[in-house]
Amino acid sequence: MKKQITIMALAAILGVTAAGCSNNGNAGTDAGTNSGSNAETNSGSKNGDSGSGKPVELTFWGDWGGEGQKQFETMVDAFNKSQDKIRVKYVLQQDMITKFLTASTSGGAPDVLFWDRWRTSLYAPKNVLHPIDEFLAADGISKEDFYGEALKELTYNEKLYGLPLTVDARALFYNKKILADAGVEPPTTWDELEQAAIKTTKWNGSKLEVAGFSLGDPGLFNMYLQQAGGQMMSEDNTKTNFNTDQGKSVLSFWDRLLNEDKVYKTGFEQGLGEGTDAFVTGKLAMQYTGPWMLSTYKKYGKDLDFGIVPPPVGPNGDKGSVMGGFGLVIPEGGKHQKEAWEFIKWWTANKDNALLWAKTSLNIPGYKPALEDPFFKDDPFWKPFLDTLEFAKIRPAHPGYSVMENDAVIPNLQLFLQKKQSIEDTLEKSQKRGDQLLLDNADVK
Amino acid sequence: MSSMGKLNKHQARTAYLFITPTMLLFAAFTIIPVIMALYLSFTNYDVVSRMDFVKFDNYKRLLQDDLFWTTFKNVAFYSVIFIPLNILISLLLAMLLNFRRFGVKLFRTMNYLPTLTSAVAAATVWIWLLHPEFGLVNNLLSYVGITGPAWLAQTETAMFSIIMVTLWQSVGSNMVIYIAGLQGVPDYLYESAKLDGATAFDRFRYITWPQLRPTTFLVSTMSIIGALQLFDQAFVLTQGGPGNVTKTPVYLIYQQGFNQLQMGYASAQAFVLALAILIFSLINMRLSKSEEPIV
Repeated sequence: MKKQITIMALAAILGVTAAGCSNNGNAGTDAGTNSGSNAETNSGSKNGDSGSGKPVELTFWGDWGGEGQKQFETMVDAFNKSQDKIRVKYVLQQDMITKFLTASTSGGAPDVLFWDRWRTSLYAPKNVLHPIDEFLAADGISKEDFYGEALKELTYNEKLYGLPLTVDARALFYNKKILADAGVEPPTTWDELEQAAIKTTKWNGSKLEVAGFSLGDPGLFNMYLQQAGGQMMSEDNTKTNFNTDQGKSVLSFWDRLLNEDKVYKTGFEQGLGEGTDAFVTGKLAMQYTGPWMLSTYKKYGKDLDFGIVPPPVGPNGDKGSVMGGFGLVIPEGGKHQKEAWEFIKWWTANKDNALLWAKTSLNIPGYKPALEDPFFKDDPFWKPFLDTLEFAKIRPAHPGYSVMENDAVIPNLQLFLQKKQSIEDTLEKSQKRGDQLLLDNADVK
Repeated sequence: MSSMGKLNKHQARTAYLFITPTMLLFAAFTIIPVIMALYLSFTNYDVVSRMDFVKFDNYKRLLQDDLFWTTFKNVAFYSVIFIPLNILISLLLAMLLNFRRFGVKLFRTMNYLPTLTSAVAAATVWIWLLHPEFGLVNNLLSYVGITGPAWLAQTETAMFSIIMVTLWQSVGSNMVIYIAGLQGVPDYLYESAKLDGATAFDRFRYITWPQLRPTTFLVSTMSIIGALQLFDQAFVLTQGGPGNVTKTPVYLIYQQGFNQLQMGYASAQAFVLALAILIFSLINMRLSKSEEPIV
């Protein structure tokens, strides 16, 4: 008798565990399982039917918490109020990409996904995203209205996988007071940048008090390379292409700034977060950063008088900046792709809503007509970014690109900046390792 | 006689029944995943779309992966410095605090406190302390006229900074283990040694150290495993930089698996790491066994 009870208890435990593991439980067939798992499956498998008058419920996953979550919820609420057929719910997922992967295989995928665009080339070949070309054609939405580079980043094999929600690019932020005290104008070329940096740098013995220009992020190599007239990848997008004269001119420029002009010191900004940011505290005169810092810097009001100009041009007058940003995509495993498209269209391809999003989140929307608004046109902070976005290029769409940059290029650049290896060795080693990584990570199907 | 056998049998059956839930969970969450990972290391699994058997391709690729071996060199360097220091400092602390005096408990608690903080939070604070211009460490150095380095950003000092921070965080718990070990050493051994005229150093060399051998074995094994699996602090403090000098195997496995979705290859890397841990633990076991404690 006792034994039987134990076995039953065991069976119950196993039953619960099994029910907890599988996401797509089949409702109510096994009468023996406890009520807890039954309730779960009932609420889980709600079959949205748009014809029956009951609104379709969409799940929208994102990994923005805090302020970002409020901004998303503002948009979601506005959409829910605008019609009564679709109800969207924002779900914050801390480790979104990992969860999305497991959900894609087990059938719990969301309907709409907030998407860091550069990931498209890695995930689209795996058929976890749904192409939107047909939706786009059916609704007659013109691709011309969006930033071409952003759309390119959402495209794989001629298919478009989402619409851009935000676009960004780095421009040169400068501290007006420091530059005025040193008697220099905001730079427009590398030479002017170098002179301005030299004049604004202040050393006190071996202590750097004000750095003229930030060289803290070797990850910006791509941007400098474009300014020097080069490209990270070869024409056919299979090999690195920075071991060139253009690459050399970037490194000798950095070497001059850091080791001869001494306008910066390695590690100067490391670990300085908001509130102690070197630019905010007047310890840094100029730096490259993006529109995402605007709301932080504006908070300091009079204490931080800063301006923005597009990135200075290189020796031959080439312009360069790297475009990044987010988009909205529809997972292949989503159950309501048509409704998901309605939501994405409402948010990213409508002038008023894109503008509402811009004003709520202080981001530049990917929809160009929204940028005609005085909110952007007449603002001295937005204007330089809009100018920069005109020529900014996305990171090359190769599934191994980010690994190549992080594991082959940046470590070698760090060694170079610390005078551990020559310009030639740096580019040579980056190229060799980079080509290998591109090859290793090229096959994603 | 036969009734005894029956009773035993009954008891045995009940015992098995009682350990079944634990064993099932152990199988489900430990054994099966390990076997799965072993299998995956022979496939090109990417979580989503494919899982084809590729034989030894992953392991072949591993042999040519310079970065993977660099990360091994990095943790080897880390271990060689970290493990002896860890044992030395925690033992010294334990001997210092192994008295029944007023206030000793306070000092024990204070030495243990760093262990309680989360690795990530503590590392974030250390980034501050180690800042080249505004950090406490370099400010103190500047009073004696030394311009401190950019601890975390320079190739020469980055790994030492990580060793320093991890030591600070791990000596506390090992100290507690050593204190427990010290209190298990019988007093009569010291008494008779004293009568025989042994000096304090002799008493340590011939009584304390041999008696603590099982404790040292535990501490060193845990240190070896922890050192080879270094991740949190390297991730937060330096992100593997500068120039890959602080990149560790676990960091690489994480990146390969979750950023590049090459789970098969990542599993192969993980297995090589597990093998390395096993080998070093076995060597450590041999070394400890060579001198059994005297009772």
